[in-house]
Amino acid sequence: MQIAIDSGGTFTDCIYKEGGALKVLKVFSTPGNPGTAVMSAIRTISNGGKATVRHGTTVGTNALLERKGARVAFVTTAGFEDIISIGRQARANLYDWFAESEPCIVPPDLRFGITERTAADGTILQRAEEDELRDLAEKIRAAGAESIALCLLFSFANPGNEIAAANVLRELGLPLSLSHVILPEFREYERASTVTVNAYLSPKVGGYLQRLDDEMQPLSMQGAFEVMQSSGGIIPARFAAEQPVRTVLSGPAGGVVGAYRLALQSGFSRIISFDMGGTSTDVALIDGAQEGPRTIGDALVSQLPISVPMLDIHTIGAGGGSLARFDAAGIMHVGPESAGAAPGPICYGHGTQPTVTDANLILGRLHPDHFLGGTVKLDVSRTRSYMEKALGPLATPEELSGGIALLAEAAMERAIRVISVERGHDPREFTLVAFGGAGPLHACALAKALRMPRVLIPAHPGALSALGILLADTVRDYSKTVMLKSNVDLEPQFKELEKLVNAGTADSAIPSTVLRSLDLRYAGQGYELNVPAGTDFLETFHRTHQKRYGYADERKAVEIVSLRLRVTTPGEAVHLDAFAPGDGDASQALLGAHSMIFDGKVETGKVYQRELLEPEDRLIGPALVVEYSATTVLPPGWTGFVDDYKNLLLEVSQ
Amino acid sequence: MKIDPIELAVFKSTVHSVAEEMGAALRRTAFSPNIKERRDYSCAVFNDEGDAIAMGDHMPVHLGSMPMSVRQAIDHVELGPGDVAILNDPYAGGTHLPDITMVLPVFADPIARPTFYVAARAHHADVGGQYPGSMGPCREIYQEGIRIPSIRLVKSGAIVRDVLDLLLYNVRTAEEREGDLLSQIGACRVGEARLHEVIARYSGKLPDLSRELLDYSERLVRAELAKMPAGAFAATDFLDDDGLTETPVPIRVSIRIDPHARQAKIDFTGSAPQVNSSINAVYAITYSAVYYVFRCLLPGEAPATSGIMRPLEVIAPRGSIVNAVPPAAVAGGNVETSQRIVDVVMRALAEAVPERIPSASSGTMNNLTIGGLDDRTKAQFAYYETIAGGMGARPTGDGLSGVHTHMTNSLNTPAEALEYAYPLRVRRYSYRPCSGGIGKHRGGDGLVREIELLSDAQVTLLADRRRLSPYGLSGGGPGATGLTVLVRPDGQHVLPGKCSINAHKGDLIRIETPGGGGWGSTR
Repeated sequence: MQIAIDSGGTFTDCIYKEGGALKVLKVFSTPGNPGTAVMSAIRTISNGGKATVRHGTTVGTNALLERKGARVAFVTTAGFEDIISIGRQARANLYDWFAESEPCIVPPDLRFGITERTAADGTILQRAEEDELRDLAEKIRAAGAESIALCLLFSFANPGNEIAAANVLRELGLPLSLSHVILPEFREYERASTVTVNAYLSPKVGGYLQRLDDEMQPLSMQGAFEVMQSSGGIIPARFAAEQPVRTVLSGPAGGVVGAYRLALQSGFSRIISFDMGGTSTDVALIDGAQEGPRTIGDALVSQLPISVPMLDIHTIGAGGGSLARFDAAGIMHVGPESAGAAPGPICYGHGTQPTVTDANLILGRLHPDHFLGGTVKLDVSRTRSYMEKALGPLATPEELSGGIALLAEAAMERAIRVISVERGHDPREFTLVAFGGAGPLHACALAKALRMPRVLIPAHPGALSALGILLADTVRDYSKTVMLKSNVDLEPQFKELEKLVNAGTADSAIPSTVLRSLDLRYAGQGYELNVPAGTDFLETFHRTHQKRYGYADERKAVEIVSLRLRVTTPGEAVHLDAFAPGDGDASQALLGAHSMIFDGKVETGKVYQRELLEPEDRLIGPALVVEYSATTVLPPGWTGFVDDYKNLLLEVSQ
Repeated sequence: MKIDPIELAVFKSTVHSVAEEMGAALRRTAFSPNIKERRDYSCAVFNDEGDAIAMGDHMPVHLGSMPMSVRQAIDHVELGPGDVAILNDPYAGGTHLPDITMVLPVFADPIARPTFYVAARAHHADVGGQYPGSMGPCREIYQEGIRIPSIRLVKSGAIVRDVLDLLLYNVRTAEEREGDLLSQIGACRVGEARLHEVIARYSGKLPDLSRELLDYSERLVRAELAKMPAGAFAATDFLDDDGLTETPVPIRVSIRIDPHARQAKIDFTGSAPQVNSSINAVYAITYSAVYYVFRCLLPGEAPATSGIMRPLEVIAPRGSIVNAVPPAAVAGGNVETSQRIVDVVMRALAEAVPERIPSASSGTMNNLTIGGLDDRTKAQFAYYETIAGGMGARPTGDGLSGVHTHMTNSLNTPAEALEYAYPLRVRRYSYRPCSGGIGKHRGGDGLVREIELLSDAQVTLLADRRRLSPYGLSGGGPGATGLTVLVRPDGQHVLPGKCSINAHKGDLIRIETPGGGGWGSTR
């Protein structure tokens, strides 16, 4: 048995397979100790037999966002102790004299230097004295550190000095994060930041996963315990405990993988996932025609560079709760300020400033009686009366609402352009997979603006992330900065890197595939493009450069900056069963009619209950499809179709 | 045609994202450390008249001067489809010679006038002249490098090879230059492609949308001016010296604010005459500095368009340090004098709106250029970097430490990137404790950076605030002045703020940058 569990802010979602069918269990989260909800779900589901548990956790994410990690001692080459705080010496806001920056996660009294040095070519210029390392260990003990991040200059070129220091510091018995292990790549600040975040999270995440593992033991399940990484791949929980920096986007990665796998099953391999919630929106592009889910190595999470592979998820601070306002010169803005959970939108009963959710209500795109299964009634008259006070130069709440929706959609559109057009992908070739509480409300408008042919609203929208975790492959990433000319024989280098793989996966019985790739650039450039390490890697590089940046120069020398290995072990095949088709008529799901506004015109559309729709049912816009956790809007001119897996497919009718 | 506020908001962010996207393409493909690591570049979008309607969040020192480049290109080159103009002449649309600007017209209809222009400006690591890195202590512009009036570098999509060759024959690192120039052309083409989508989407509405966007920026500035007190507010600040003598160089400003007419006049009359060294600012620099300060007084979402400057009149006497005329050398005006102009304008505004103005930041970019022959490869190299300092304390709290302020926001070059590329070794990179001014709120601390030479090289320093400190406000103390030391086997030698020396393998340069001024009395 396989159980996938995704811890969210409100619900802990579980998906598991029983008797051939996928089952969903939702329990309330226990934010104080997320493990309580996880264990209660496991106890409910577990039948005493052998089970593999896969987990998407926000323990690391939250510790990072709330700055509640460990007291980290940052140890580096003497003279560079402050680099963890200086960063790249630039300010975040060009024109704001009053902007504050987040305090460094390593306070000044926890930054330490070692008198040692390695050169760019790996030559050790100076080794640390044993006495100095002993003194350092004593200082770290005295400073009350709970975790250690060790990042010496050029340790990726030769880890000798870092290993020597680690051997002494290990005696302190604290979690030790080593830069040549976690990220053997150049650029000291980005590497130091990644290693420091790892050290910052490891006591908390390590302890959490250990406790869960301990609690599972008495259940005599004997199966594997695994964790979702930000890269969209699964790793054993013990690796996640050692390298928690790889899990900071565990939950969102599950959503992206879930969206991709569901879409693949329905026949769409090129998707843009669109997950719009209350305060933020995540978008990602996955091109199954090329390499599938794409990872990046230069992510910024909560203002900190994290350079281990992460799915290329672009997050913007706009969602259903984003506030609308007019500025001194009469232009309207939506966000970045949000009404949050308190006071929330006007229509929930406490807020006083218009939000995107309020606009959707006024436009008839949210039904006041069918929100969260009817448990929350949305207050239309309260919303209208507060909107009347915030009209600016506009005449009616309807006009204001139309504008709010348009601006919110423009922000979403820009986010999608960043991950598509800006990366050389044409959105017209992709299917938009929309989920999250607000995604299906705006999906059609967005698809139209980007001229995307199709929208897919997945079945199980509330447990999509858990589904992704269940279906994901096991993936381990290895890398090393080498700085080589393009004509050298890479085989010995890759062989060296593959030794790490054999050490790490000796316990796995399932055969793995190993994908080699290269980070390349024209000699002298500062950024690299990652291409597969085939015999034609140079051609691929020139072609990709031309596509992305508008030129290529085949006469120029190409430099191999880093080697990468990705080891993938396919997850246990979980086949989603198709449902029996219905009669093609959706009338069994019809709840009634509702008036809606599109482009300033009032239209009347039907309202359907999502859970009652059957495969082959067809819908015609304007229409609303309501379900517990979301509402889907079909504007006029759109048609809907329920596929065999109960996904909702929306297209513009010809 | 009436433009509604929602459509305008969408248009504003659309054109801004075009400029940002151009910048990303430039950064990711460039070869100069100045562009790829330090991000010393700017990209912008202009309407058919050459007014800036969007500028990426790149380098503030380029704010006001980018439209002047486009103006030059429009007036002096008959740009057709597929053409790209190039220029760097500080006296005709440029700032200083290393900043090379490309201008590309975007045609909705190939036989009509352009609908948009895009421009990409980047700081090249070397443009020839007397000193490697082209930032040395020159006496006249002819020594500073190759001077390019606005001419065509690309004609109907093809590079004009003889023009390119002429440029490349006049610079030290030709191959790197060629790469950077291609990268700039690429960035312009990325902008062009995106603007064609914008044209398809808005077509006939574009002139109105552009005009309305400019008017909108203007309204934002006027709304701020209406809130300010009436009167004339004056201040003086100084550059340490011109690098040749030890006499301080005054910059003076008087700002007359008229909240009823909602306009302001910024008058630099009384500033020093231009000098015989390179710290002269051309008018474009002074204009940009004023633009920057007023942009900072606006709400965060205000777009950087040409409309911002409509209510502001900038008067800078010809032949002065803030409006130099040929043949003055100007490399340092862009990087050093520009910072002082910001300092003096802010000091004057502090008289009018004290609660909105921070104390002086470090006030220098600590420009360091190291060039010579790399012993390892026997090839020429030219390395340039700027080192951040302390930010001035704010009325609301302490200044930040070790961060670039005002007219620059360039990143550091990672030690691990630098040592791969150059015969240099970084020995220290840290905060400089206690260099921020004291006060109710402390100024930010400066930085210390030590670089060891692994080959003989010419080391050029262009820095200020070595004698005269960054000021504190409302009773706050000044920030510490900066210090540069050459460490040799025979001992330590303090270097002047502006100098060029022949240094040897094994020498070490230590630069300690100024702290920011404090704010408010400690009592």
